Amino acid sequence: MSTTDDNTLPGIPNVGKADLDAMVENERPDPREELADVEADTDLGIAMAEDAQRVARGELSGDEYWEKYDEAAGAEFGEAYQETPNPAVDAGDQTVSTETAESLSCAVGSMDTVATESAQVEGEEPDGGIGAGDEKWGMVIDLQKCVGCDSCTVACKSENRTPPGVSYNVVMEEEHGEFPNVTRTNVPRPCMQCDNPPCVQVCPVSATYKMDDGVVNIDYDRCIGCRYCIIACPYGARYFDFGENYDDEVDEAGEVTSPEYGVDRGPREEGKSPIGNIRKCSFCTHRLERGEEPACVETCVGDARNMGDLENPDSDVAQMANSSRAFQLKEDEGTDPNVYYLK
Amino acid sequence: MSTQSSRFEFDPGFEDDRLRVAWYAVVGVFVAVGAYATYLRITGGMATTNLTSIVPWGAWVAFYIYFVGLSAGAFLVSTMANVFEVEGMHRIDRDALFAAIISMAVALLFVWIDLGRMDRMYFPFIWRQLTSALSWEVHAYVAYIGILVTELYFSMRIDLARIAQRTSGLRQTFYAALALGRLDTSEGSQSFDQRWLKRAGIVGIPLAIFMVHGGTGVLFAVSKARPYWNSGLFPVIFVISALLSGTALVMVVYVLRTRLFDGDSVDPDLLDRLAQLLIGFIIVDAALTAIETFIAIASVHPHEIETWQVIMYGPMSWSFWWFMIGFSWVFPMVLLSKRSWRRTPAVMVLTGLSVVIGIIAVRFNIVVPAQVMPVMEGLPHGSYFPTLVEWGTSVGMIGVGLLLYTLGAETLPLTPLTGGDH
Ligand code: SF4
Ligand code: SF4
Repeated sequence: MSTTDDNTLPGIPNVGKADLDAMVENERPDPREELADVEADTDLGIAMAEDAQRVARGELSGDEYWEKYDEAAGAEFGEAYQETPNPAVDAGDQTVSTETAESLSCAVGSMDTVATESAQVEGEEPDGGIGAGDEKWGMVIDLQKCVGCDSCTVACKSENRTPPGVSYNVVMEEEHGEFPNVTRTNVPRPCMQCDNPPCVQVCPVSATYKMDDGVVNIDYDRCIGCRYCIIACPYGARYFDFGENYDDEVDEAGEVTSPEYGVDRGPREEGKSPIGNIRKCSFCTHRLERGEEPACVETCVGDARNMGDLENPDSDVAQMANSSRAFQLKEDEGTDPNVYYLK
Repeated sequence: MSTQSSRFEFDPGFEDDRLRVAWYAVVGVFVAVGAYATYLRITGGMATTNLTSIVPWGAWVAFYIYFVGLSAGAFLVSTMANVFEVEGMHRIDRDALFAAIISMAVALLFVWIDLGRMDRMYFPFIWRQLTSALSWEVHAYVAYIGILVTELYFSMRIDLARIAQRTSGLRQTFYAALALGRLDTSEGSQSFDQRWLKRAGIVGIPLAIFMVHGGTGVLFAVSKARPYWNSGLFPVIFVISALLSGTALVMVVYVLRTRLFDGDSVDPDLLDRLAQLLIGFIIVDAALTAIETFIAIASVHPHEIETWQVIMYGPMSWSFWWFMIGFSWVFPMVLLSKRSWRRTPAVMVLTGLSVVIGIIAVRFNIVVPAQVMPVMEGLPHGSYFPTLVEWGTSVGMIGVGLLLYTLGAETLPLTPLTGGDH
C-alpha cells in the first residue's frame, strides 16, 4: 500500500523500485530461448506459462486454464502427463475444482501422495529406513585445529533446536600446568556413538539402540525417561528434556523442531515426546540421510571436524582415524567410540 | 464353634480411639500434602524437581532403593520364623511380611513418579533389554511381590478362616474371600499351609537377596562410568544395610502394634533377639562400609577420592556424620549396649526409629555424591538438593504406605490368634 517510491523513510536511501523491477526483467531468461533447449513444443510452453501468470493474477480461473490445455498437454507429454497427478490439486490451497480435476486426463491426487509413494518405494530397498546405510559413520576432530570458538555448539543448537539445558555438543576446555606455563586444550564433545555403548546396555525398554550405520538412536516414542542411560554414559553426552523452552528469548521457539532420527514430530508441545525423554547428538542423522554433513562439521571455523565412512579405507576420516595422532576419549572404558581425536 | 470363639480373641485396630483419630489425622495431612505436590509434579513435569542432566537421579531414587531395602530386610526377618524356624519368631512373621509388601508398594510408587514419562510405566513389560539390570529388576519386583503375598496368605489363612467362621454377613464374606474360600481350620490344612509357606519362603530368599535388593545394588554397581558405585562389594553392602533397616522396622512395628493395637505386653525375649540381630547387622554394615571406603581411598583414583571428599566434607556432609554414622550406627549401638535397655520396649522403639531414619541418609549418600563429580574433566560439577515438590511427593507416598499399613493392621489378623509360636 505504501510502497511507492515517494514514501521514503528518513535515513533510508531511495532505491528506485522501478529500477529494481527493470533489473529483474533484465535478468529473466528469455522464455523462447530456454524452451528451445527442451524437446517439448515451445509455443505451447509459452502459452501455458503466460496463462499460468494470469491464473496467478486472478484473471483466469484454474478450471478454465486446465480445461484449455488438458488436451494439448496430453498430446504433447503423453504418459508422463497422464500418470502424474495434476499439480494444481493439493490438500491446502487447491486452485482447481475437484470436478474439473476429475474430468482431466491426468491422474487425480495431490503431489503429496506422489511424494509419499515414491518415498515408500525408496524405503523398500534392502533393509530400508533410517540409519540403514552402508556407511559406518565416524567423526574425527583435529584438536590442533580447534580454536574453542563453540560455533559447533551453536550450530548444533540451532540445527537440532534443542531446548535450554540440552546441548548435544559442548566444548570442554581444559587448562594444564601452572602459571606462566599454561596450555589449554579445547575438546569438543558430541555423542561418541560408541561401538559398545553402555547407554544401550542399560536401557530397560530398548528405547536406545545402535543402527546399522553406527549411530545410536533414541526412540522417543518408547523412552520412559528413567535416566539410567545418563548414569551409564561415561562421556556425559546424554541430556534429559525437562520441557523448558526459549519462549522468552524467541517468539514461537517451539513451532519448528528438527526431524531427529528422521521423524518429524511437529511443534514442541507440553507432555509430548521428546519432553520427558532423553536426548543426545545423533550425528545429525536427518542430514546424513539426505547427503549433508552434520551441522557442526559444516560450520566448523577451523575445519577441525570431519565426518565420513570409517569402513571405507580411502575416506579421509578412516585415514585420519588410523593415523598415529588419533585417539579416543576414555579408551580404557571399552566403549570404542566412533569419534576420534587428533592430538 | 462357640468354643472356638471363646478361645480366640479377634479385635484388631487401635485400642485407644483418640489415638486412632490423631494418627489418621497425621497420615491424612501427609497424604494431602503429597496429593498437592503430585498434582504440581504432574502438571509441571520434571522441571519441578532440582534434577539436572548432571544429577539425573535424586530423592525419589534414594527413597526407592530405601524402601526396596526395607522390604527385603523385613522379608528376610520373616524367613527366620517361617523357613529357619528360629524359636519365638513366629509372632512377628506376618508383621514382617505385611511391612515388606507395603514397603515394596511404596518403592514402586517412587519409581513411578521418577519416570520422565509416567504414562509409560508399563513399557518395561512390553519391551525388554537382556543386558539391563533395570529391566531385570522390574520383573524381579513383580515376582517378589507375588511371593510376599503368597507367603502372607499361607501364614494368615487359617486365622482368616477362623474369623470367617465366627462372623456373619459382609464381614464373613470379606474374610472368606481373603482366605480364597479355604475355610478348613483342621490340623491338616494348617500343616499344608505351613509347608507351602516354607516353600514360598525358600524361593523368596534368593529372590530377595540376589534379585531384588542385591540386584538393585547391581543396578548401580554396573555403572562403570561412576567409579564410586562400580565395586563388587557394593551390592553386598546394599543387602546388609537392607537387613539392618528391615530388622529395625520390624522391631518398631512389633512393639507399637503389640502395645497400641493388641494391648498386650511385649515379649522381652523376642525383643532382645531382634536387638541382638540389629547389633550384628550394624557391625557388619559398618565394617564393610569401612573396607569399601578404605579400598576406594587406597586406590587413589581421583574420582573416588573426590567423591569421598564430597561425602565427608561437602555441603551435605552433615547427612553423613549425623544421620549415616550417628543415627544408623553410633546412637543405636549405644542404646543396644545394655541388656536391660534391649528388653525395654520404649528404648528399642527409639533405637529402631533411629536406624530407620539413619538409613535414609545412607541411601541419599549412595545416590547423590557419585553424580556430583563430572564424568569427564572439563564438564561441569553437579549439585542437588530436593525441591519442595520432591519432598512433598515423598511425604505423600510415605503417607500412602502408612495409611495402607494402618488399614491392614486394623482389619487383618497380623497377630496369630493362637498367640506366639505354633
Ligand atoms: S557417548 Fe554416551 S550416549 Fe553416546 S553412545 Fe556412548 S555411551 Fe551412549
Ligand atoms: S531414559 Fe529412556 S533411553 Fe534412557 S535408559 Fe531410560 S528408557 Fe532408555
